[in-house]
Amino acid sequence: MIIQISDIYWVFWRELKRYSRSRIGLVVRIVQPAAWLILIGSTFAGTQSLLTTTGYPGSYIEYITPGIIMLTSIFSSIFGGATTLWDRRFGYMNKLLTTPVSRISIAIGKMFGISIISAIQASMIIVIALLMGVRLGNPIGLLPAMLVIIAFSMGLAGVSLIAAVLAKSQESFWATMNFLGMPLFMLSSALFPLELMPSWLSIVVKLNPLTYTIELVRTLIIGNSIPNIHLFIDISVLASFVITMILVAAYMFKREVSKAF
Amino acid sequence: MVAVLTERLTKVYNNNTAAVDNISFSVEDGEIFGFLGPNGAGKSTTIMILTTLLKPTSGKAFVSGYDVDKQPSKVRANIGYVSQDIAIDEYLTGKENLILQGKLNHIPKNLLNHNIEEALQLVELKERANDIVGTYSGGMRKRLDIASGLINKPKVLFLDEPTLGLDIHTRHRIWDYINKINNEYGMTIFLTTHYMEEADKLCNRIGIIDHGKIKVLGNTSELKQKVGSGVIILKLMHYYEKENFDKFIVKIKDLHDVDDVRHTDMYLIVSTKEGRTLIPRIFDLSDTYNITISSISLKEPSLDDVFLAYTGKGLRDETGTAWTGMQTVERFRRARA
Repeated sequence: MIIQISDIYWVFWRELKRYSRSRIGLVVRIVQPAAWLILIGSTFAGTQSLLTTTGYPGSYIEYITPGIIMLTSIFSSIFGGATTLWDRRFGYMNKLLTTPVSRISIAIGKMFGISIISAIQASMIIVIALLMGVRLGNPIGLLPAMLVIIAFSMGLAGVSLIAAVLAKSQESFWATMNFLGMPLFMLSSALFPLELMPSWLSIVVKLNPLTYTIELVRTLIIGNSIPNIHLFIDISVLASFVITMILVAAYMFKREVSKAF
Repeated sequence: MVAVLTERLTKVYNNNTAAVDNISFSVEDGEIFGFLGPNGAGKSTTIMILTTLLKPTSGKAFVSGYDVDKQPSKVRANIGYVSQDIAIDEYLTGKENLILQGKLNHIPKNLLNHNIEEALQLVELKERANDIVGTYSGGMRKRLDIASGLINKPKVLFLDEPTLGLDIHTRHRIWDYINKINNEYGMTIFLTTHYMEEADKLCNRIGIIDHGKIKVLGNTSELKQKVGSGVIILKLMHYYEKENFDKFIVKIKDLHDVDDVRHTDMYLIVSTKEGRTLIPRIFDLSDTYNITISSISLKEPSLDDVFLAYTGKGLRDETGTAWTGMQTVERFRRARA
């Protein structure tokens, strides 16, 4: 199996073309995170004093902005495997599989496509946040933050791809992903800092790679972070999550597509 | 050179049924080979093994000289595959679909444009090439699908049920394309179908598969001649002399190429493989014996008969001419008894 960059690029190219031509999908995927930012941001603004006790210097809406950015990425990437399922259902996958492109290249191209689309969606929510008056303490941090978003989305795209190749129907795929998405988000430090959680919850939250990703984004763009989680740990957790998911997804993809659908 | 070769090829699915059961056959370079069988006979499974989509359980298969199991990437570089599903991306334009297919097949830049133009020309989609496929009709999508199978100028083109679900006009167009592809590019074409007419029109050779086993392999016209049961059915005006009629029957039986004659007072069924040349001779005899023929119908040997002979059942052929002919005879037989 040879992995060729140009093969990955052309699989990726198709994903992006499809995305750019589906305006409804583009809007639908941004509405929910925007609603979260606006509703939760204002509803829980009253917890500001609590938040201050943890040593966080900014406002509540600034606190949740990185979480909502990642929520956008979750919404976008966790359902991204759907195109793979459709491709198999409509026979397009078989056409891809009879070209000289390696299975691994197809899997990586798909995941990369999903993650870039997620990053585009996430940057839209950043614009909405800025319009709502969120101040970025460290605007230069946006660039590395985008890399973090792309990386995390790629890992999640891997999860989605695994579910897609294992799912026998659209229904089971969507049900599984819905079941995964919300807990992943709620059981993280997206909405409240670890210090405000009961200890059992904070243990669960610490097991969630999203927590570390959000801390990274928070450190990079808002410029304020909870001091007891270090940058090094954040990056290591994120990197191991992403690399593991890409490898497992590539392996599962290769294994499952060689079976009759 | 042999384009496709299988040796005792077998595919057993998880439920322990052999979808393809120990089949061996070969397709020569430049042939249009038709794989015929009812739904679920194992046609698609065979094509999926030959296109490297499925691994065989046992046996061997070679395409363009390469082992499908051991050298899949070599095989992929030499084939085009047009599946039963219309596998094109409806979010892309027609041309974008072809560009993508070309790029994924590693076609060099200078060749790609030329190949795309040629393929678009062949399937008559040049004017619509820059429209989103979502706006195409079903027939146009299938044509684009076929064009995309040609982009890499494959040595062997696999067409799985190429005209399934298409109207008769589109079907004829696609037959034209298939003939052109075979004539002009000298491409070997391996197609599956359950339409007898399609196999009859296109294929040099056919294989009939049923329940995973090959029932017969051979040249289309030879197979028809071998088992074909052509009949001429004559309806007579009833005011003839009984004596003349009996002589008439005897004379027909004596004609060359006549296999059998059965009759009632009004109907005459002549079994023959040479119906076309026999009809004028029967007319001559009817003149001689003063017998008036009120109607005549001819059923020539067809692939339906071949199919019937080897599988013991008919295929539901949409055109149905041959089949209804047979049924008429059957009804007539019962009426006589």
